[in-house]
Amino acid sequence: MSLFGTTSGFGTSGTSMFGSTSTDNHNPMKDIEVTSSPDDSIGCLSFSPPTLPGNFLIAGSWANDVRCWEVQDSGQTIPKAQQMHTGPVLDVCWSDDGSKVFTASCDKTAKMWDLNSNQAIQIAQHDAPVKTIYWIKAPNYSCVMTGSWDKTLKFWDTRSSNPMMVLQLPERCYCADVIYPMAMVATAERGLIVYQLENQPSEFRRIESPLKHQHRCVAIFKDKQNKPTGFALGSIEGRVAIHYINPPNPAKDNFTFKCHRSNGTNTSAPQDIYAVNGIAFHPVHGTLATVGSDGRFSFWDKDARTKLKTSEQLDQPISACCFNHNGNIFAYASSYDWSKGHEFYNPQKKNYIFLRNAAEELKPRNKK
Amino acid sequence: MGRKKKKQLKPWCWYCNRDFDDEKILIQHQKAKHFKCHICHKKLYTGPGLAIHCMQVHKETIDAVPNAIPGRTDIELEIYGMEGIPEKDMDERRRLLEQKTQAESQKKKQQDDSDEYDDDDSAASTSFQPQPVQPQQGYIPPMAQPGLPPVPGAPGMPPGIPPLMPGVPPLMPGMPPVMPGMPPGLHHQRKYTQSFCGENIMMPMGGMMPPGPGIPPLMPGMPPGIPPPVPRPGIPPMTQAQAVSAPGILNRPPAPTATVPAPQPPVTKPLFPSAGQAQAAVQGPVGTDFKPLNSTPATTTEPPKPTFPAYTQSTASTTSTTNSTAAKPAASITSKPATLTTTSATSKLIHPDEDISLEERRAQLPKYQRNLPRPGQAPIGNPPVGPIGGMMPPQPGIPQQQGMRPPMPPHGQYGGHHQGMPGYLPGAMPPYGQGPPMVPPYQGGPPRPPMGMRPPVMSQGGRY
Repeated sequence: MSLFGTTSGFGTSGTSMFGSTSTDNHNPMKDIEVTSSPDDSIGCLSFSPPTLPGNFLIAGSWANDVRCWEVQDSGQTIPKAQQMHTGPVLDVCWSDDGSKVFTASCDKTAKMWDLNSNQAIQIAQHDAPVKTIYWIKAPNYSCVMTGSWDKTLKFWDTRSSNPMMVLQLPERCYCADVIYPMAMVATAERGLIVYQLENQPSEFRRIESPLKHQHRCVAIFKDKQNKPTGFALGSIEGRVAIHYINPPNPAKDNFTFKCHRSNGTNTSAPQDIYAVNGIAFHPVHGTLATVGSDGRFSFWDKDARTKLKTSEQLDQPISACCFNHNGNIFAYASSYDWSKGHEFYNPQKKNYIFLRNAAEELKPRNKK
Repeated sequence: MGRKKKKQLKPWCWYCNRDFDDEKILIQHQKAKHFKCHICHKKLYTGPGLAIHCMQVHKETIDAVPNAIPGRTDIELEIYGMEGIPEKDMDERRRLLEQKTQAESQKKKQQDDSDEYDDDDSAASTSFQPQPVQPQQGYIPPMAQPGLPPVPGAPGMPPGIPPLMPGVPPLMPGMPPVMPGMPPGLHHQRKYTQSFCGENIMMPMGGMMPPGPGIPPLMPGMPPGIPPPVPRPGIPPMTQAQAVSAPGILNRPPAPTATVPAPQPPVTKPLFPSAGQAQAAVQGPVGTDFKPLNSTPATTTEPPKPTFPAYTQSTASTTSTTNSTAAKPAASITSKPATLTTTSATSKLIHPDEDISLEERRAQLPKYQRNLPRPGQAPIGNPPVGPIGGMMPPQPGIPQQQGMRPPMPPHGQYGGHHQGMPGYLPGAMPPYGQGPPMVPPYQGGPPRPPMGMRPPVMSQGGRY
């Protein structure tokens, strides 16, 4: 087990709270800081599924590594293991039984990491960086779905080196989400495609984008019967669209809202509009969280169409977020996302992952 | 005039029982007296709006509406002008007034009524009246105020308003955004605006977006009066074409009426109706297995296999349903081939100019392209597994990065050299750097090719 440079056994025994110094704004929300965070920007976060007891967090970073921590109920985070790619890791996901972690990287491959044996093998190959990776568990099949900047969506049985299926995308895959039997892929040039996964993956519909700017993140939400029914799509223009697949009244049910912008419209200074870097739905409440380049996260209730909370501003953009399987923990990563280009990149700046108790703050607002 | 129903009363303030001549004045009064923040004096639009503002901006809670008479201080009740007043209070008021007016002469009362209607007419035609029937989600209330021609965005509309009435209600859900970016229009969306306090909610049409890098481009594309994308979310059908909108509204009713039926009960519809019907409204008999219930879904009982049949067959059957029939709308102006419009007078996109994702931009850097295994670390830490070793880029016919590397050779060489080619080294890479050379092939030109056809996947050659 390689443990981030520590000797053996468990890593630092979890000093969870960094005594944040006075003017330091790296953790204004006073959330729990994950120990041994990656050395470069964190591009993706994922919590273990409910099949695993406890909570394990996986993070992929631009330092080419994927790290795993155990998150204890006390908030202590214990580094457990790490794997490497030969390029920055862009996406991670878990298998449904919690025994494997799949990682997608700029090195154009995806790997399957068996946590029990701590071995990782390559299971996918693309012609360009692999941007998204998801595990699909259907009644009659299981596979890994990878989306790449080579404009393809490939499905892999992890035992074979040839993909089970290859679907063409209109453009480079930028983000995706899967909740069986639905999958969403958002591509460059504002492409948006829905797939249905029953029986075998197939393209279901291409949707005219509800947003006017580059797509950045997408998350599927479910209805009261726990079936996927729509998605939230975030763009680089500080806006999220809530879109239902088959709404009774599209004009009224679908809407967009602005977020992650600075200044109200009152002030004379031009408003700064930040990209939405991630969207995650609370698994129990159905409310959603968005994180942006402005260094804030916000919680929203899409049914009441209200904002529940906005955080203080961190001194770095928030590049990724996710909820754990029961919605008690909200994890978000504070690291540079390149939104201001190369000039603002400071390799010395520490990258953080914060954990926040999400049980209360994401309760839906009662509708009037 | 057939507008007796309107309010039956002069506008009056629910919070303090004062009377006003005009709802506009009433609203101004409410904003100044009841919905004004005592800390910063910002005028909100409703009680809840004020509460939210105080909470978010000043971190203070308020529990009563300022300057309200006892019994009328409820801060949770969303009252705006004459809207939102609970029915029983309306009745009470009416009774009160009737008692009062019975004491006065009948003639005077009738005169007042007709004056009132005239005012409304002229007021409506000259100023933007908030739409009283702002529908809640899923609920389309009847046009409660016939006197108030809810013809949005038609300030110049001649008082030939009644004829529009029948046609307009169905438009309501879709119409609000027709109000071109007029400030009253902004607050018109108050319910949402106040809720997402601090940030504006965009109605489905998003027509109110003040910084609108996307808006101007839509204008030229507006055919006079009949913007097709009414049901399309997020696309402002009309922005500033006010004069044009008038005839457009008249012509509009037929279209949305079809799509705006009575609000349906929130029945759980199957997510994916059968492919052939996907474009129309959801059909009834579709099971949860994506196939119509009447046809025997024989295919779903296929034995599970780890491999799929040839994908061309399956995808061909489902891709005919693209409902994005148009090519990308003119809004591609903001996402030009290579660059974005990142700055406007009122807002600035914090994003590099090129229209590529942040990750793509970052991945171009030599620093992230040095895919050599880090010294001192076994790349994967395990021997390559047999079958995987043979995993090659499976796509036939796809030219590998422009001759940078011949198609992958090395079997079993997993180690970290996935590319396998020493030629990968940074020095050998053409400094990909510039957006433009890469992007043009991907411009909106070829609208989505049907599945089964593989346009040459020119992965950004040599970029990675």
